[in-house]
Amino acid sequence: MEIGATIKSLDPSVAAASPQEADAKTELDALLYDHRGEDGAFAGTAGSGAFRVSEWEAGKRAVLAANEDYRQGRPFVDAIEIQMGRSAHERVVDLELNKTDFVQIPAEQARQAADRGVRVSASQPDELLALVFVRSRAATGDARVREAIARCIDRAAIVNFILQKEGEPAGGLLPQWSSGTAFLFSLDTDAHGAKEIRPQIPASTKFVLGYDSADTLEQSVAERIAVNAKEAGISLASRAMPTPGTKRANANDSKPEPEIHVDARLIHLRMPSPHPRISLTAFINRLGSLAGIADSPLPESASPEDIYYSERSIINSGLVVPLVWLPQVVGLSAQVRDWKRPEAGQSWPLADVWLDSAADAR
Amino acid sequence: MLLNALCNWHKPMRLLPRLFFLRAIVALLTIAFTVRSSPAQSAGEIPPEWGEVLRSLAHKIAAGAKPAKTFSLDVRNLSSLNEGEVDGIRQMLVADLSSLGLKIRMAPADAQLQVTLSESAHDYVWVAEIRRGETSDVVMVSAERGAMKKSSAKRPSLTLQRKLIWEQEARILDFGLLEAAAEGASILVILEPDTIAFYDYRAGEWQLNRGIDIGHERPVQRDVRGRIDLQAGKAELPGSECAGNFQRPETVTCIRTPATKSAALAGVRGENAEDRAMVAPACGVHDPVLISGPGDWTEPDFIQMYEGSRQRGAVSQQIQFAGPVLALWASEDGKTARVVSRNLKTGAYEASIVSVSCGD
Repeated sequence: MEIGATIKSLDPSVAAASPQEADAKTELDALLYDHRGEDGAFAGTAGSGAFRVSEWEAGKRAVLAANEDYRQGRPFVDAIEIQMGRSAHERVVDLELNKTDFVQIPAEQARQAADRGVRVSASQPDELLALVFVRSRAATGDARVREAIARCIDRAAIVNFILQKEGEPAGGLLPQWSSGTAFLFSLDTDAHGAKEIRPQIPASTKFVLGYDSADTLEQSVAERIAVNAKEAGISLASRAMPTPGTKRANANDSKPEPEIHVDARLIHLRMPSPHPRISLTAFINRLGSLAGIADSPLPESASPEDIYYSERSIINSGLVVPLVWLPQVVGLSAQVRDWKRPEAGQSWPLADVWLDSAADAR
Repeated sequence: MLLNALCNWHKPMRLLPRLFFLRAIVALLTIAFTVRSSPAQSAGEIPPEWGEVLRSLAHKIAAGAKPAKTFSLDVRNLSSLNEGEVDGIRQMLVADLSSLGLKIRMAPADAQLQVTLSESAHDYVWVAEIRRGETSDVVMVSAERGAMKKSSAKRPSLTLQRKLIWEQEARILDFGLLEAAAEGASILVILEPDTIAFYDYRAGEWQLNRGIDIGHERPVQRDVRGRIDLQAGKAELPGSECAGNFQRPETVTCIRTPATKSAALAGVRGENAEDRAMVAPACGVHDPVLISGPGDWTEPDFIQMYEGSRQRGAVSQQIQFAGPVLALWASEDGKTARVVSRNLKTGAYEASIVSVSCGD
């Protein structure tokens, strides 16, 4: 198995340095720990899950061995060897060369991989890519500015050209399959409306949209939004931001990292559950510190109407602009059997798969 | 077909009290909920539970549309409801709006009403958008998805029927229904990998009488199978056996046994496989056999009756299951079959009885 992230520690109490590491760590912890609660926290001791760590090289490689005494029965496979920090290209090539049985594939490369004959499994879209206006930045403090930028974004182009149709335009904070109310949020591009607002914005205003320098999808989307904005007469530049947790090229350089000021940035929000209330609550918590969104928590008894109006109030604030929904995509070798694509919030069901050695010969 | 043991990290099955998870459903013969193949739902035939939901929607529309009294109405369907069901919902909503003094008419009207029948991950969501001039309002209700009966295609003369007996979060290996020692009472026996549980039907619901820990020496195999033999008064699974008078659960005890040689209880590591059960001749079919579909644990499944073997052709319609059929056993009298399946939509294990009837 090959993944893109590098994991420094599997201890759930050790914070991940980047969102990518956090996601990968969650997947592996799910194999090592017996269970976790609704809040996503793992419980029990390491090794109480379907697998135990038998070899560990932080950030490079791990081998997980089947837990013979696992409460729900021993996994079918004897062990999983995990290579970390492999690029998307390397992962797909290794899968094609039968060097591995399971790899993560970025959503934007899923179609290309499938066209090359790779066996691809995509989940329902459960990860939101959104533009978030940064709290306390003067340039975006004006609601008219935020509205102009939101109106000019062409989501269909992002899905069709950048994602190669492996995703869906997003108008709300929850996907249609989860909330049933996403159709109430507009997906239309309104460049004309954006141009009408433009004269109300001071001509000297220049906006900076930040993206994670290690995320090629974010880079492409940010550049596309800059083009949309330019067409509406808005000056917006995209700028790479360092991935959290990455070190400078020259480690001996004692100068402080120059602070990059951005007015808005792209972020990924992954649903922790198919349940709309749980996912919206998680998103509000994440957006709270970044965009200054403070919505009251949704009670367990929240109705679809309560959830919709909570979602609606955030979208109407203009502080968050949903862009696209992304699926989780993995590539599988021909030997992998009984793979069932996980639902939102579920981990890879690797304890349930088995390898058909005969498939290799066929 | 094999037992599934998918990990579900968000729904720990053993941490909370057992009864919390048990959603008693059901039905012993006279009170059984029958999931039966039937013609497509016709207009107006919608579950009674939905009538209340639609009345609530009509009240919300009336409140949100004030002072409008006349509406143009457009209903669109974004859900898995079929045309007949959509028609039925529309008719009932129009009737409810009329009873509140609101009239549906073609334009011109005081307001436009767009009703969208949508669905979330768990329920149907019915949304009404009310537009009056420049203003608009949105109201909505949700309706239980499980309330709608299944519909299916035309029935052949030999019909399979499925009665859902029990469902629960924990894995079921086999189950059995029998008369209790007390006259008119019933007992439901559920065999799980670690427990054999006895339920009594009292006061209109199944109540746990006794749960007996099987006490394995080691965790069971992931693909463990087990079987209840009511006539012999025993339940077998690899390495263990529980025996006694099942009509008197207090007499039942479990012991460890040498690993079973029974091929029927041997796991086959999740490979594609089909289950089969020979049943008694019925409806002119001399050697009927029920066979499950060829899919694996990740797919919906079905059971169909064949004459002798699959090669000789099906003699019944398919009964669909929302997940893999994990066990299929003929009953002692051969007239019915016990089926354990897993519903991939809900994650629950389901115990059902499949029976055969002749004609419609």
